Amino acid sequence: MSEAVDPGLELLERQNRFVSDHLRRIFVQIYRIVGNVADAQDLTQEAFIKALQRQQQLKDEQKAAHWLSRIATNTAIDFLRRNGRVAYCEIDAAPESPDESPEDLLLRSEQHSYLEDGLRLLTARERAALMLRDVEGLPAEEVARRLDCSKATVRSHIANARIKLRRYMEKRKP
Amino acid sequence: MTHPDPSTLALYAGQDLGWFARWRTARHLARCRECRDEVQAFASVSDALIPLNELPPISWSRLAAEMRANIRLGLAAGECVRAEETGRPPGWWSGARALTALASMIALVAAGLFLQRPVPQAPPVADNGSAVLRATANGIELREGGESLSLLHVRTADVTYSAGAQGSMRAGYVDSETGNVTINDVYVQ
Repeated sequence: MSEAVDPGLELLERQNRFVSDHLRRIFVQIYRIVGNVADAQDLTQEAFIKALQRQQQLKDEQKAAHWLSRIATNTAIDFLRRNGRVAYCEIDAAPESPDESPEDLLLRSEQHSYLEDGLRLLTARERAALMLRDVEGLPAEEVARRLDCSKATVRSHIANARIKLRRYMEKRKP
Repeated sequence: MTHPDPSTLALYAGQDLGWFARWRTARHLARCRECRDEVQAFASVSDALIPLNELPPISWSRLAAEMRANIRLGLAAGECVRAEETGRPPGWWSGARALTALASMIALVAAGLFLQRPVPQAPPVADNGSAVLRATANGIELREGGESLSLLHVRTADVTYSAGAQGSMRAGYVDSETGNVTINDVYVQ
């Protein structure tokens, strides 16, 4: 005699597995765009809730991963548009790490602060395109898929972002 | 020598150009030191972003557990809201909505047809030899068989014309100097 599985429990199990499989990847992806842990945490949760509320689109594992990445990118871009800022955490707010000396923390904080000022010059989409391409190392085709636009548009965003950052770095050396 | 624009050089630095544009830019760079320096500068911009690849020193297991709990909570809250919203029988609601949509469409089409219908034009006055009586700018004109007879009025601006159903035309006016009232009735027989 076979045991009947509660469909609610099965759904819960599937959702938990989905969250576990993608949580770190999505958090890192959002963190690279928004630049601080607290906002990345909130937006990661928001992206997963949005995705899991439309479960019918999660049947295909491969497509679900792409779709989730797109939701995450769009959620982060919307957040930046609403708030118009990238806020790297201050040294005082940074979680303590036993491996890092106070000097390392200070250096990292200064470096992030310097980049933060430069990234503020970019639009939300330019920033997202640059992060996905130069930091995450995704090919332009994948960036285009994530941002839901053409490859030509992605190239334009990336070129603009590099030009703006270059001008900024020329004017203000770290 | 024509130099590639900054966008092309920025894309070349990150290997983001198509093969033909890349080949053409590489040819130019082979003989242009200035553009080589530009490309180098763009490449250093990308290198400067590498520290952003590092995650801050966080306790991932604690953060992940917190996020999992919040996601679960968010989904539960969403289900509560959805349950309230879907309290009404879905069949009834969707049926009423479809009916409303259909009625709106029908009303829209009917309004369109009504507005597009041909407007009846007044038939042109046929010159078939019958007598026609009409008011003109100068007075009352009687036309019959290509010939016309006009009753002219002195002060046409003050004249009031009225047409009778039996084929008559009346013109009345008051002379502002003498105060005389003049009424002319012309009948067609």
